[in-house]
Amino acid sequence: MLIDLIISAIKAIFVVLLVLNLSAVLLWFERKGSALIQDRIGANRAGLFGIGRRLGLPNLGIINTFIADPLKIFTKEDFVPDRADKFLYTLAPFLALFPVLISFAPIPFGDRLIVGSHQIELVVCPLTAGILYILAALGLGVYGAALGGWASNNRWALLGSVRASAQLISYELTMGLSIIAVVMVYGTLDLQEICRAQSGTWFGWLPKWGIVYQPLGFLLLLVAGIAESRRIPFDLPEGESELVAGYFTEYSGGKQAAFMLADFAEIVLVSALISTLFFGGWQVPYLQSDGFHLPGGTWLPLSNPVVALLGFVAFGIKVVFFCWLQILIRWTLPRFRYDQLMTLGWKGLLPLGLVNLMVTAVAIVAVGGSV
Amino acid sequence: MQALGPLILSWRSVLAPGIVALTAVVTMLVGSGLSEDESESVGWIALTGLVAAAIASLAASGDHIVTFGGSLIIDDYTAFFYLLIPVCSAVVVLFSFDYVAALGLPATEYYALLLFATTGMMLMAGAGDLIVMFLGLETMSISAYVMAAMAQRDPKSSEAGLKYFLLGAFSTGFLLYGIALLYGATGSIKLEAVAQMVRKHSIALSPFVLLGLGLILVGFGFKVAAAPFHVWTPDAYEGAPTSVTALMAVGIKLGAFAGFIRVLLIYLAPLHAQWSGVLWALAALSMTVGNLAALAQENIKRMLAYSAIAHAGYILVGMTAGRSEVGPALLYYLLGYAFANLGAFAVLVAVEQAQQSGTKLDDLSGLARNHPMLAAAMALFMLSLMGMPPLAGFVGKFYIFSVALESRYVWLVIIATLNSVVSAYYYARVIVAMYMREGAERQAQTRQPTLLFALAVAALATVIIGLLPHPYISASSAAYASAEQVLRPATAALQTK
Amino acid sequence: MTTWFPVALMTAFAALVVGLMVTINAIVGPRSRDPVKGEAFECGNPPSGSAWRRFSVHFYLTAILFLVFDVEVVFLYPWAVTIRQLGATGLVEAGIFIVLMLAGLIYALRRGMLDWS
Repeated sequence: MLIDLIISAIKAIFVVLLVLNLSAVLLWFERKGSALIQDRIGANRAGLFGIGRRLGLPNLGIINTFIADPLKIFTKEDFVPDRADKFLYTLAPFLALFPVLISFAPIPFGDRLIVGSHQIELVVCPLTAGILYILAALGLGVYGAALGGWASNNRWALLGSVRASAQLISYELTMGLSIIAVVMVYGTLDLQEICRAQSGTWFGWLPKWGIVYQPLGFLLLLVAGIAESRRIPFDLPEGESELVAGYFTEYSGGKQAAFMLADFAEIVLVSALISTLFFGGWQVPYLQSDGFHLPGGTWLPLSNPVVALLGFVAFGIKVVFFCWLQILIRWTLPRFRYDQLMTLGWKGLLPLGLVNLMVTAVAIVAVGGSV
Repeated sequence: MQALGPLILSWRSVLAPGIVALTAVVTMLVGSGLSEDESESVGWIALTGLVAAAIASLAASGDHIVTFGGSLIIDDYTAFFYLLIPVCSAVVVLFSFDYVAALGLPATEYYALLLFATTGMMLMAGAGDLIVMFLGLETMSISAYVMAAMAQRDPKSSEAGLKYFLLGAFSTGFLLYGIALLYGATGSIKLEAVAQMVRKHSIALSPFVLLGLGLILVGFGFKVAAAPFHVWTPDAYEGAPTSVTALMAVGIKLGAFAGFIRVLLIYLAPLHAQWSGVLWALAALSMTVGNLAALAQENIKRMLAYSAIAHAGYILVGMTAGRSEVGPALLYYLLGYAFANLGAFAVLVAVEQAQQSGTKLDDLSGLARNHPMLAAAMALFMLSLMGMPPLAGFVGKFYIFSVALESRYVWLVIIATLNSVVSAYYYARVIVAMYMREGAERQAQTRQPTLLFALAVAALATVIIGLLPHPYISASSAAYASAEQVLRPATAALQTK
Repeated sequence: MTTWFPVALMTAFAALVVGLMVTINAIVGPRSRDPVKGEAFECGNPPSGSAWRRFSVHFYLTAILFLVFDVEVVFLYPWAVTIRQLGATGLVEAGIFIVLMLAGLIYALRRGMLDWS
């Protein structure tokens, strides 16, 4: 009993730290990646006592992103504007980051791991209503943006926060609709079960991943997800050229870091959701619990820990891939105009989501059950 | 297709409200695509839908079916209201055509909301569980809140809408709490199951049931505008556009009483000993407050608001008696009340239109000379509301009072009779103003065929229902009997005890 | 109870980390205040009054519409999970529901919900 509690505690803490660190990695990705795309050099100054230079290693800005910047950020002055609402001003960044972190609880990062007599599900908490839990937690995120801008008592910030609220709620609908279609296909809200249902192949070679059933749903979720994480081309709430920095104009130090990390953590969350719902989560093509079953009929036996590890790595690769995809989109596209953004959400994606839903439903009922 | 069998069967049962709701959606979509002037013609769509629903309601009669897992009951009682409610709404639509244009109300929203409100009223009449009852009540009320505030240029209309909304929302909360408590005590929201549980003595007298019952009484009391829950009524009735007031005074009362009577008199009949005392007080207070306050009113809409409170009191007298003989009397009374009120408001709309005036008592002075037909019709409706033989109002009142007397509520009947006498004064004042006072010479104008048709329908109904009450009483009896048949053996057993 | 234990734990840990993140500056950071620094940032101009005032009613309308549609979307989840058991009956009923939802959307669009001019 106690050991089970300890195991789940380790899983919970592991996932929170993983997400936070992955967010920091993404920040580095973004700095060097944008430099690469724009033909710049990017962060390359800070070093630790010149060790890297002496050894002749190229400076990739790793020290900048992981040591120098956090140190600077967390030792800054705790600045609160005079006319701000002090309590809400501090609460807002908390409400931005915290819900994103806890919404990872039902997302599986691997199959069952067997250690001795213990069967460990590689998920923080296998909730039967996992998808609803994620949507609920994600819905809380809007409070961070809305309160942040309002509490600052700054016009740019307020404008940013009302824009953010309107945008987040508009695209949340599409998100919900595209996920409903997936739920229909698998008939469950439990993400681990959805992952399991995506094992095996068609015709002996095509992995049974969700994207085959729901290509349109995937696109909808991707677009809505990018909008939810307030990234270009949907970055109107914080558009630098219009609103200084949007709803966190007045923020600095750790509070600003929380807002920033929330953005990145949302990217991770969206990527994890997309991987889980449409790309089999931790499923590795042709890998089953006893090893690889290749299309030719070859069987490559593997032990359980190896299979679990492969699953974890596969999930990680998928998540990082979609994170990279979102960063790539950010540095490729220009920003929408506000009315275009709303038009796309309400006139484009929402009806499309409803159509996708109805087509899926009719198909499932017509087939009469078994998928 | 076999799987759809039960669906088709149950859809027959919601045909009438379904038609109304569908028409509402069509009205909304068609109207929003038209320009402002063109959109006034969507009233004809609304009218067509209401007439179709009234015809479709006949599909519900002659049966006793419980459909949608007990959520809707289809019997003659439901059919009675499925027919009456759309007809009343149709009459309102008939006299709204030019009025909506004259006041500059948004026509699309006006007709769509009117239809949605009608759907809600019908659902209340057919509800077989408390949640559907609540849903119908909300659909009906929320539409009415918006409609009351629809004349945006008139601050009184906004005031009416806001007051109606705030107090209405408050009362809905009471009703919902009551439903929740009843659900907690009996474990079901289905009226039939609730009734069965309540028949067990141990549950019937639990504090949850009694508290729930009390809260439900309060909630319905607000909706039917019974004193002391009537404070919103005068302001809301006065400020709302007159055609909307007609809908509030007639349609909403019909819907609310349809639900109230079914819940209380049929399903909660075993608790008669518990609720009759409360209803006694509500009835006496409503009649007295309504009639006394009406005496002092100079605005006819306001006067009719207090008159509506008083009439709610008369109906509550009947409900207090609680015997199954009173059911038909209540339905018959509602019939007469509905058409007399519709007619009175139609006359007011016509007066407002023809004279470009308000609805003060003075505005009606000399109406007999300027518009003899309008004055005659108004006199007819006032006499019926007053309870003059041989009009519908008299028969209804007589019927209710006699049953109450048989049930030995002597004092209540005495209060009611005294009140009726008092009421004669303010109804007669209208007639006096029209016939015996000189008004400013006003240009008679605007002949509106639809409005005149509406007036004719109301006037004919008031006369015919009063003169030849028999078919209507037997229809009411059949309706009530079919609603009651669910529980007859059990109720009878309890009454003999 | 045990199902939710990891969630509770994760919530506590996340709250601790994030709470530390937003308060650490108050503990370790330096402090220096002056009135100009405390002003709202409007690109260097003196601030033009409080930001707590009216803003476009369109945002409010969007929020109301979101409430309507989000609740409707949430209603579809139970149906989505049980779609196979409910079969054609469920499909027809949910279809009616979705058509009504679309009608509402069309109405809102026609009434200028997206007119940001």
